[in-house]
Amino acid sequence: MESKQLIIAVSREFGSGGHCIAEELARRFGLPMYDRNILEHVADEKKVDSRNLEKYDELPKNRLFSRTVRGFSNSPQEQIANMQFNFLRKKAGEGESFVIVGRCAESILKGYPGLVTIFVLGDMEAKIERIAHINKVSKSDAEQMIDRYDKKRKAYHNHYCQMKWGDSRNYDLCINSNKLGIERTTDTLEQYIRERIK
Amino acid sequence: MDLLMMAQIAAGMIFIFMFALIVSEKVERHIVTLLSGCAMFLIVFGLCMHSTSAMVKTLNLGNILHMSFWYQPYSVLEESSGINWSTIIFIAGMMIMVEGMARVGFFRWLCMTIAKFVRYQVVPIFITFMIMSAVLAMFIDSITVILFLAAVTIELAQLLRFHPVPMILSEIFCANLGGSATMCGDPPNIIIGTSLGYSFADFITNTGVIAGISLVAVVIYFYVAYRKELQPVGRTTDVPTVYPNPMDAITDKRGFVLSCAVFGITVLMLITHAQTGMTVALIGVLSAVATLLAAGRHAPMLLKKIDYKTLLFFIGLFMVVGGLEQTGILETIAFYIGEISGGNQMLMVAIIIWISAVASAFVDNIPFAATMIPVIKTLALTTNAELSVLAWALSMGTDVGGSATPIGASANVVGTSVAAREGHPISWAQYCRRSVPATILVLIISTIFIWVRYL
Repeated sequence: MESKQLIIAVSREFGSGGHCIAEELARRFGLPMYDRNILEHVADEKKVDSRNLEKYDELPKNRLFSRTVRGFSNSPQEQIANMQFNFLRKKAGEGESFVIVGRCAESILKGYPGLVTIFVLGDMEAKIERIAHINKVSKSDAEQMIDRYDKKRKAYHNHYCQMKWGDSRNYDLCINSNKLGIERTTDTLEQYIRERIK
Repeated sequence: MDLLMMAQIAAGMIFIFMFALIVSEKVERHIVTLLSGCAMFLIVFGLCMHSTSAMVKTLNLGNILHMSFWYQPYSVLEESSGINWSTIIFIAGMMIMVEGMARVGFFRWLCMTIAKFVRYQVVPIFITFMIMSAVLAMFIDSITVILFLAAVTIELAQLLRFHPVPMILSEIFCANLGGSATMCGDPPNIIIGTSLGYSFADFITNTGVIAGISLVAVVIYFYVAYRKELQPVGRTTDVPTVYPNPMDAITDKRGFVLSCAVFGITVLMLITHAQTGMTVALIGVLSAVATLLAAGRHAPMLLKKIDYKTLLFFIGLFMVVGGLEQTGILETIAFYIGEISGGNQMLMVAIIIWISAVASAFVDNIPFAATMIPVIKTLALTTNAELSVLAWALSMGTDVGGSATPIGASANVVGTSVAAREGHPISWAQYCRRSVPATILVLIISTIFIWVRYL
């Protein structure tokens, strides 16, 4: 690969361990990682409290309660999403290498030669186990959480992107983290990325 | 089923489909209204009614060629229907004038001058900005007013360390209220005025008085509601030592003077148009020409900035409403309102104000007002109700009702959007908590005022 820039965009199902995998990839490649912390950067820049922004993070726009006038939208969800997209475009435009979790990065940053896009999925049973263990909730609650979060992520993604969330044609690699476990999945992804940047 | 009933059903379905598509935002709203207008012409006028005269009447092009379209030395109640070209030409003219003013830095200069005048103290800024918002919106479209006011408010909030959201929400409300005071303040009023033949003076002496009384009430209300939130945040020692100079806002001194002159003369022409006989269409054209001449080499840039989509939206909308009007479907609604009220004018006024307000809080108030005009015309003809009283009720209901929610009026959308872009997202709950009571307050004032003064 001619480009020295490396952007690893990790999309994930809730409970698949995609976030942990992204964190580990960031550590192994020595890259900064962006997720909801983008809003802290935005808040710092605008001199506002990031907590006011975080409640609208990765949420779909509510069509019924939103209106757009001359390119201005009243939807806080849409505004926050656009702030994050602009942040990513700016970082990518400046040539920075980074790992990004979610935020439609695979579509927003499409065209950058150093972009590697990954979708991490998982078996439902394994995801329930993982979420129940991490959040100390019952299995049925964990299942509900997974359904709820994935529904929101899907709606959020599909509102801003042409390609559908989780559609294999949208990513360089789709991987089920339960088949090899989090660590070996990370190893596999690392190997793939190293091949890509050779 | 006879052809007229088929036409009514088709017109009603096209209208509902248009509204649903506008709300869904799947397609740009000007495309929606234009396509709906074409559907109205083809299906309703063509297939169902076989009426070319209905098409010609709705297109209303002959109207522009009449002298009375441009100059009308005596006041008449117009029997205008179909595309309201006066509204479209006037709005286009105002768009050019406002772009000219924005180019030279007029709005920022005005905001900063007022902030300096009150010595950069938060509460006086809060009160004067609300009043300025209302006064500017009497003559300039509320989107432009809020666009500049919200941006300056955020700038001052960073400088003076106060929370900008209460101030922006109050400014939005006052811009909508100010718009209700005059014929040219808000699109529903322009449509009501040009469709029913009312002058600037008619509005200012009727809705203007209601808006004036309401402004006093809402300034007090917002002050009481927001006084705690307006306290400066952070350390009190962080007061700035350098304040922005209002003169720095001016980008072109000669252009600034000329723009101020054009604005002043336009306001004068609007105030006196009933006496001079100049119609709003003529005033719009004169203001636009004067602005373009004053802008010199910047004129093409101003023309590019015209919001053509909004103008096309209006044209399509009038075509659709014209279709509803020609099929007589709106008369049915009018008879229904007349029947419910049993000819009681107080009830009729209350129904118009409150239904208009509730509808305008959730859907665009421009199509609503355009649809309601033929309804109130029929109501006045078929009952003993005074048309002007119904017109003032419709004006206050549509203009003020839009203030209740973040999507009720264009200024609300733009104001909340500007705030969010600067890191202050405003939720529905946050918006409605203070704006719904303020809207109800103004609607109560309006209803009581109309009852006491006219009935």
